[in-house]
Amino acid sequence: MKGLMKGLGVTFKAMTSKKVTYKYPDVPLALPDRFRGIQYFEPDKCIVCNQCARICPTECITLTGKPNPDPEKKGKVIDTFDINFELCILCDLCTEVCPTEAIVMTNNFELASYSRDDLFKNKEWLYENNENIRKENNSAMTTRGGIKKDV
Amino acid sequence: MGTWLQEPLTWTNFAIFLAWGVVFLFIVLGFVTYAIYFERKVIGWMQLRIGPNRVGPLGLFQTLADIFKLLIKEDTIPRKADRWLFILAPVITYVPSFAVLVVIPYTDSLYFTDLNVGLLYYGALSCISTIGIILAGWASNNKYSLLGGMRSAAQMISYEIPLVISVVGVILLNGSLSLRTIVNGQGDYFWQWNFLPQIIGFVVFIIAAVSELNRTPFDLPEAESELVAGYHVEYSGFRFAFFMLAEYVYVFAIASLTTVLFLGGWHAPFPFLTFIPGIIWFILKFMFCVFFLFWLRATMPRIRVDQLMSFGWKVLLPLSLINVFVTAIYVELFIK
Amino acid sequence: MIRTEELLLNVGPQHPSTHGVFRIVVKLDGEVIKEATPVMGYLHRGTEKLAENLNYTQIIPYTDRMDYVSAMTNNYVLVHAVEKMMQLEIPERAEFLRLIVMELQRVASHLVWWGTYLLDIGAMSPFLYAFRDREIIIDLFNELCGARLTYNYMRVGGVKWDAPEGWIDKVREFIPYMRKKMEEYDRLVSGNEIFLTRIKGVGTYDAQTAIDFGLSGANLRCTGVNWDIRKNEPYSLYDRFEFDVPLGTNGDCYDRYFIRMEELRQSLRILEQAIEQFPKDGEIMGKVPRVIRPPAGEIYARIESPRGEIGCYIVSKGKAEPYRLKFRRPSFVNLQILPKLLVGETMTNLITILGGVDIVVGEVDC
Repeated sequence: MKGLMKGLGVTFKAMTSKKVTYKYPDVPLALPDRFRGIQYFEPDKCIVCNQCARICPTECITLTGKPNPDPEKKGKVIDTFDINFELCILCDLCTEVCPTEAIVMTNNFELASYSRDDLFKNKEWLYENNENIRKENNSAMTTRGGIKKDV
Repeated sequence: MGTWLQEPLTWTNFAIFLAWGVVFLFIVLGFVTYAIYFERKVIGWMQLRIGPNRVGPLGLFQTLADIFKLLIKEDTIPRKADRWLFILAPVITYVPSFAVLVVIPYTDSLYFTDLNVGLLYYGALSCISTIGIILAGWASNNKYSLLGGMRSAAQMISYEIPLVISVVGVILLNGSLSLRTIVNGQGDYFWQWNFLPQIIGFVVFIIAAVSELNRTPFDLPEAESELVAGYHVEYSGFRFAFFMLAEYVYVFAIASLTTVLFLGGWHAPFPFLTFIPGIIWFILKFMFCVFFLFWLRATMPRIRVDQLMSFGWKVLLPLSLINVFVTAIYVELFIK
Repeated sequence: MIRTEELLLNVGPQHPSTHGVFRIVVKLDGEVIKEATPVMGYLHRGTEKLAENLNYTQIIPYTDRMDYVSAMTNNYVLVHAVEKMMQLEIPERAEFLRLIVMELQRVASHLVWWGTYLLDIGAMSPFLYAFRDREIIIDLFNELCGARLTYNYMRVGGVKWDAPEGWIDKVREFIPYMRKKMEEYDRLVSGNEIFLTRIKGVGTYDAQTAIDFGLSGANLRCTGVNWDIRKNEPYSLYDRFEFDVPLGTNGDCYDRYFIRMEELRQSLRILEQAIEQFPKDGEIMGKVPRVIRPPAGEIYARIESPRGEIGCYIVSKGKAEPYRLKFRRPSFVNLQILPKLLVGETMTNLITILGGVDIVVGEVDC
């Protein structure tokens, strides 16, 4: 009986205590800077090194490059860049390997849609997704004698 | 009310009775609607949530929306179900739940009938609902609902007995089965109400009553974590609504009955508080009982079925019997 | 003459108490179980096979999704195995960060278990109380590595992110808060007579059976076997901290419950010491070659996850991808005793026992 009474006491006290629910759709969620949301892609920075497509564990990134329109300059520029958000698990590896920070994470996460086709995002869409871009990118990888330095 | 009931049945009187019946039906339906709302709110608060708050101001229309949704839902009857029993079961469950309300006196003047076997009538009718639940479990032709139905049969039989015997003490003290007489027999001060002189009976009654209601910690027939939803697994739409309705009408009935039997009905706790009308006191006590049920639901885990049985037969029944004997000796020695 | 028949009942895969998509086919006599056959594989994603075509960094996000309630320990077992193979040196700060997140994860995971176990037993509120406190840990993780459940935090040779400013202080504040909440949990549940009668003497087995079935974690320690990999084969920095391994005697659900509650307290104790000793600065990434190619050979590394011994067996042919990768998942192994435990129990005890084993279906099916 004593245990039951104690339990009743706990729930009774909880009645007036502070509620912990988020008022989410009414009040947007405040997320920390490092939050991994939908990627932002900046075509001008991209050097078409293909690392993001190669590191992606789910192979959701497809990209093609074309020769630089400016004949003076060498290398390629990005032609198409698509992320399939049906597959993307937002694991952060693409932004981790990107040598120029052409692809970075944002804090946006609302991807729900009525059609699966809407989840196929192209270069333009990702470029427009330019709000809440993550400020701090790749803290570990820059200091390491690894991926980033050598590219 | 009393004088009306004594009059011969004429068409006018019949119309008046009918009107009262309809008014009362709507009061009960309104209670059920807002009991569900408050249950969700109270449990929400106890669980550090806000509870329903989207439909209407403060979520007040949430239950209405839920009921509306249940009513417009497709009515499904499984092909392998026993069709007629399946349809009959919610009716059998609901009708007695509403019929038992007839014997409950709300104030000295507001009551619908003053049966001299009121308590017996209550006990007898509320048993019929069990049959509805067993039928639902059987007719659905679903193994989970069958298990739920069987559990409910075992549970209801085991707890109906201590429930009735625990109030025998009250009956002995007042010498009547009529609920009105029982309330009038309780004194003006709150320590003269039955819950203190009949403390054993009161505790047994509360436990057995919660069990009768199939509510936590005795919600074995529904037991959503074991039997998914027990006897109403296959029910949807308004048939499901009827089971829910019956459950909450019983909450109404049991809370009223507890108030009447043990908490002094419409009496004020002190004589100097009698300027507040009796109906207010009744509602306050009644609401406390209902709140207590919600409170239990937010706190307690579910009891196991074999423990439930042994608890009912080995603890509650002997306790209530002892209570009867002790009361009988007391009445014999001091009151007669 | 009354004819009786056994009732074949299909519990799951869609059932509120099978913690996901786990299924048990039980033969019932009344409510008493005559035979129970667990059916698993509804959440099988072929992680081990997929891993054969992925390089080691790419496997890490997959391990998050195995035991999704305790992703940090999964991350760790993989990187630990690879590091052991390559004999890498891990900077101290990185190792401390790993240890702190693993212990926080253990607290979070046990909280989920506690809440859902009580939910199985029929009490609703503990679930929400547990999730309130777990939310704080999840927020800490979110701040540290940008995700709430699938962290992808550890890397071969270190960790991805350093602790942001003030993060360590937040963990420090969390410890006394959690201690206070533990008292509340005890008041709410641990003394509740209904709950205690539900779990006492249910699902009992002895030490020899537990060892024969290869059980680990609280499922093994409830029988009194003193086996905790953190103590017996210290990995990471566990040899630097003082903590006790709670043991049971009866091997029933009651012991398992109190062992897990005590483990929560011990984890807080470890966290407290780790925060004290946390190095002021330092690298978070060791010297790691550009492409991770462990030398040819085989290795088995094991650690103590909240559910028991999680192991990672790697066969390497010296390539960037493993030749074969095998996870020893504690949920899967612990589950094997279920058919034996369930015979003769009631339907209600099925839920109590299954909940007490503490499975995560993602890990069972992998």
